[in-house]
Amino acid sequence: MPRVGWMQIAALWALLAPSGALAEDWLGWRGPQQDGRSMETALPAPDPSKSLLWSVDLPGRGTPVVAGDRVFVWGYEGAGEALSEVVAAYELTTGKELWKHRFRDFFSDIVYERYSIGAPSVDPETGNVYVVTSPGLLVAFTRDGQIAWQLDTGSLYGRMTFPNGRTGTPIVVEDLVIMHAVTANWGREGPARDRLYAFDKRTGTLVWASTPGTQPQDNSWSTPVVVPQADGRLALVLGTGCGHIAAVDARTGDPLWRAPMAKGGVNVSPVLFGDLVIATHGLENLDSTKTGGTFAFDMKGPLEPAGEEGAPVLRKLAWRNDVAGFSSSPVIADGVVYQVAQTGELNAIDAATGAVLWALPLGPEQIHASPVWADGHLIVPMSNSHLFTVKVDRAGGSVVSDVVLKGVPLGAPAVAWGRVLVHTTEKLYVFGEARPITAWKPALAPAVKAGPAARLRVRPAEVVLRPGESAAIEVDVLDAQGRLVERVSPGAVVPWIPPTAKVKSEMKASYANGRLTAPQDAGLTAGAFQVKVGALTGTFRGRTVSGVPYRQDFEAFSVTEPDPLDPAQRFGWPPLPWIGARFKWDIRQTPTGMVLGKTLDKVLFQRALTFIGHPDEHDYAMTVDLMSDGDARQMSVVGVLHQRYIIALKGNQRALEVSSNQDRFKHAVPFVVTPGTWYRLRTEVSVGADGVATIRAKAWPRDQAEPAAWTLEVRHTEGHRQGAPGLFAFTPKSLHKVYVDNVVVEPMKGAAP
Amino acid sequence: MTPRSRNGTGMLFLALGLSTVAHAEDWTAWGRDMQRNMVAGEKKVPKLFEPGRFVAGTEQVDMATTKGVRWVAKLGSQSYGNPTVADGRVYVGTNNELVRREGLTGDRAVVLALDEATGELLWQLTVPKLGSGKVNDWEYLGICSSPTVVGEVVYVVTNRGEVVALDVHGLADGNDGMQDEGTFMVAPGTAPVDLLPMDADILWSYDMPNELGVFPHNITSSSVLVVGDRLYVTTSNGVDWSHIDLPSPFAPALVVLDRNTGALAGEEASGISERTMHANWSSPLHVPAGKGFTSHVVFGAGDGYVYGYEVDPVDQGGLRVLQERWKYDANPPEYRVKDGQKLEYATFDGPSELIATPVYAEGLIFAAIGQDPEHGSGVGMLSAIDPASSGDVSGKARWTYKGLGRTISTPVVYKGLVFIPDYDGVLHCLVAATGELLWKHPTGAHIWGSPLVAGGYLFLGNEDGELHVLKASKKLTVVKELALPAPIYSSPVLANGVLYVGTQTHLYAVDGLP
Repeated sequence: MPRVGWMQIAALWALLAPSGALAEDWLGWRGPQQDGRSMETALPAPDPSKSLLWSVDLPGRGTPVVAGDRVFVWGYEGAGEALSEVVAAYELTTGKELWKHRFRDFFSDIVYERYSIGAPSVDPETGNVYVVTSPGLLVAFTRDGQIAWQLDTGSLYGRMTFPNGRTGTPIVVEDLVIMHAVTANWGREGPARDRLYAFDKRTGTLVWASTPGTQPQDNSWSTPVVVPQADGRLALVLGTGCGHIAAVDARTGDPLWRAPMAKGGVNVSPVLFGDLVIATHGLENLDSTKTGGTFAFDMKGPLEPAGEEGAPVLRKLAWRNDVAGFSSSPVIADGVVYQVAQTGELNAIDAATGAVLWALPLGPEQIHASPVWADGHLIVPMSNSHLFTVKVDRAGGSVVSDVVLKGVPLGAPAVAWGRVLVHTTEKLYVFGEARPITAWKPALAPAVKAGPAARLRVRPAEVVLRPGESAAIEVDVLDAQGRLVERVSPGAVVPWIPPTAKVKSEMKASYANGRLTAPQDAGLTAGAFQVKVGALTGTFRGRTVSGVPYRQDFEAFSVTEPDPLDPAQRFGWPPLPWIGARFKWDIRQTPTGMVLGKTLDKVLFQRALTFIGHPDEHDYAMTVDLMSDGDARQMSVVGVLHQRYIIALKGNQRALEVSSNQDRFKHAVPFVVTPGTWYRLRTEVSVGADGVATIRAKAWPRDQAEPAAWTLEVRHTEGHRQGAPGLFAFTPKSLHKVYVDNVVVEPMKGAAP
Repeated sequence: MTPRSRNGTGMLFLALGLSTVAHAEDWTAWGRDMQRNMVAGEKKVPKLFEPGRFVAGTEQVDMATTKGVRWVAKLGSQSYGNPTVADGRVYVGTNNELVRREGLTGDRAVVLALDEATGELLWQLTVPKLGSGKVNDWEYLGICSSPTVVGEVVYVVTNRGEVVALDVHGLADGNDGMQDEGTFMVAPGTAPVDLLPMDADILWSYDMPNELGVFPHNITSSSVLVVGDRLYVTTSNGVDWSHIDLPSPFAPALVVLDRNTGALAGEEASGISERTMHANWSSPLHVPAGKGFTSHVVFGAGDGYVYGYEVDPVDQGGLRVLQERWKYDANPPEYRVKDGQKLEYATFDGPSELIATPVYAEGLIFAAIGQDPEHGSGVGMLSAIDPASSGDVSGKARWTYKGLGRTISTPVVYKGLVFIPDYDGVLHCLVAATGELLWKHPTGAHIWGSPLVAGGYLFLGNEDGELHVLKASKKLTVVKELALPAPIYSSPVLANGVLYVGTQTHLYAVDGLP
């Protein structure tokens, strides 16, 4: 087994980093070498009473990053309805706040203020700072705090949220910013899977999407590690929610391999040792009833065929041991892996053999926090607010310092320019020495010598158009290693149905002069296109969605599919370009016409958040007919998604409710819902110049006259300014169906066009 | 043992099966009996043993390396609750990570019925997951309910929210009662399996989510209380993903079933679900008649109150409703409101519900608050409540003790002392009559399970897999800390001279070292 020494690590760093990037910066969550290791030396132990340089009262649950004299922090502030996530920049020398942006939660399941679990990433070339907010906005900030671009990945790609809020961090690789999330998009990416999405870091154009794994049991926020391959390609290696260590090609998204490791999610960021990738998990094992373990897979091992889905399978295990960690990532230094177990012991593991060299109890348990290594010391934040500095080597560990912080540290410390930065649920601490900081300047991307053209990568990889809209289509011609040869405009773009497509469908749009345009009568379509450059071909996908106004009475749909629960019944599929619709909704024939019903055959899908329009819509009104089956004991919930608010009839609660996140914004008024009765719901959301949104809703039995007054009218400071229209249903345990009919989305009266 | 026919008349004999005399030192329910005080009466107890080592490369314990261990049964990868022991059988809930039942692989929940003498499997109940994921039936939790054995019937609450009655004999004496076990054992919509001799014989099943609209949070837990011909069962009704929204605010937190048929016989209508902070997981108990009070049922609820209910439900607006005799807020006011501000649930200083089972012993009801371990540490309180209460007796406990962290462990009361651990891993010993703290013993790891007192010794497991053995006395005396190879989340029990200690993965039946 080759021992990876200091110089090789430094060489790896040099290979990955654009020239001019400084090793003293801490640009991403695991630092300059991706492994939690700093090159700083002779740091004073972080101690609030001895080495504190400055602190700010900003709660956070992740890791700050540093580029020159700027600290970029993701946290949250305020409480209750006033709580917002925050992305802020501070001067590292003084702690002076330079800029700050606030982001409201919407549609997330996040509980107990589990916000900002992750980190920003800084691009050394542009200086841009990237964050995925907890509800799924991918935001690119300039170094000076301008928003360069942002994407609502929830309504664009079906990015999901989870109660634990574990969001993670995007990473920057060459020209791409890459995020990791569970998405339930449409078509072949409809089933919920752990996916990677790569965007042009300057424009936000989607460049590729990748599905290396299988059905996830958990959401993983493992951060990919970039691994240069011997043939010149770059691999991303990460843990997945489906219990694998997986690798995809960083330039193309091609799934490379997946190594099955656990039955639940692998949350840690792996570390590398020669050809070994090392990671820890804390859940059920595949082959024993002992939970958790640390595994080292040999990335040079043989691959088995992928099976039904995901990447080819890598099984060659170099070693494993019983050190179990649920989400605290390992650190590697001098051939020793340091892993804090979920039961609170710091373990030193021989990276070559997996032998546990020693273990040092530091606390009763560890949750998310990860240590960093610098100059022979580990700085270890623990979930009981202790921050340890431990002198470590192969022979043993001894505690140099044990201090108690205010709040709980849940991310990893960052080490930059002689400082140690630790974020807790109360404060951002900056410890250390005020060493001089080299002024930040853009690094130069390394000159790339591409080989002969070998494949195409279409930009965007996925397009969404409203009637009359168009998008530029460009093609990156890549060499065999995925390096850019040239960027061209394709001569032809033709509809393409993959031979393996389960749904044979085309997107209604035409290509001319470098742009793809949806006609005014595009309707709801989705499909793929093929482009050709010379002898090479490439594909991309797209969909046309409704604009405003939009009317849907479902009468044009047909019911052809046998119902899995009752073969005598037939149903029709919902529109393909709707996000989060398939297997959640079905078209049904009733004596009074066609309606949309909530599908009940998979209890996993008891809830549906379905986006039927474009994320940029605003100032619209919705009118929808709604009904729930049920009985005196139980009914289901049905309503609309309106500009990032859920407005729903809740029969069990006897209420009409508007919410965004249940813990952040929720208001209800009494409203008795009778099972089997059609109601009409009308909703409006308007935002004033002061940023206050007014959400209005009225509901009444459909066969009665519309009441003059709003049933519910509430205000939301810093309210949501835009968001795709959609449908909401929650059919607890999939027992009682709900129905939707006569959907109308129209410009709000009196709103600016 | 009553001979049983293979036809429907078996049910009749079953109903009469109460006449079967359980072995004197059986442990037939969660908490040993319906007062839930985990004290075994035996004088001579096995307190020392060597759990042994695994056969290399396996998860089988090499019995030659054990000392004082009668047998070791392999469980799945997780096991909660406690085993129960009755009439020569040991029942224990776990998951399906050790697949014993051919054809039923993958994540499922399991109750094993083992031979008390040998640990050999007699039969097993195998239950599919609900399929809705973590929100209702968290992966790999298995069966969390401790079986209750009465005569020839085992009552257990499944991960799917069903209350099931099982024949103690399994299918060995034919398939009694419900006939479609092959459908029960597989997920809805999949083809039924053919029954094997090792399958459980289900007599009846009552589906609380489907019948009552209950929305179980994360898992259906709790163990069945039997009083006369009635079963009292906690539903696990609680919040959804948001941990705020209650999908079924008017579904009951506690229901009553007919013991022989499984028919609904009553429900609480105290509005508990509407006020539930997280979930209703605490098991009910029975307080027999005493000086100044008649028999009643006590329930530690998801709204942080302890309720005393009349045993008999009463017709009320078309439902049969449990009548409140008394209720008591197990949170002091300052856990709910501070400086005029409502304290948030799942914050360190905020209010909690009851997860641990209250205990009736030495004339008092002892009840302690706690939260899902996922919510971490926080303030707790143990209350001693007078069973002769009526009306709202909040603030009127005999005594309260706030030196305790949140706990999900059931206290044990023995010779004027109450012993209770908290989630932080500290065992507290108090004077039962006054609440005076005598000593504390930090075990160094989180505690999920509950202590057992047997023969004057206290046994308590923790998350680091340590079994702490102490003298159950006024003076802190640690006898032994035994290291087991997996975390202990269940509670040790003693039955017929044998100590049962369950880790997440193995059940040890301990004869003890001389």
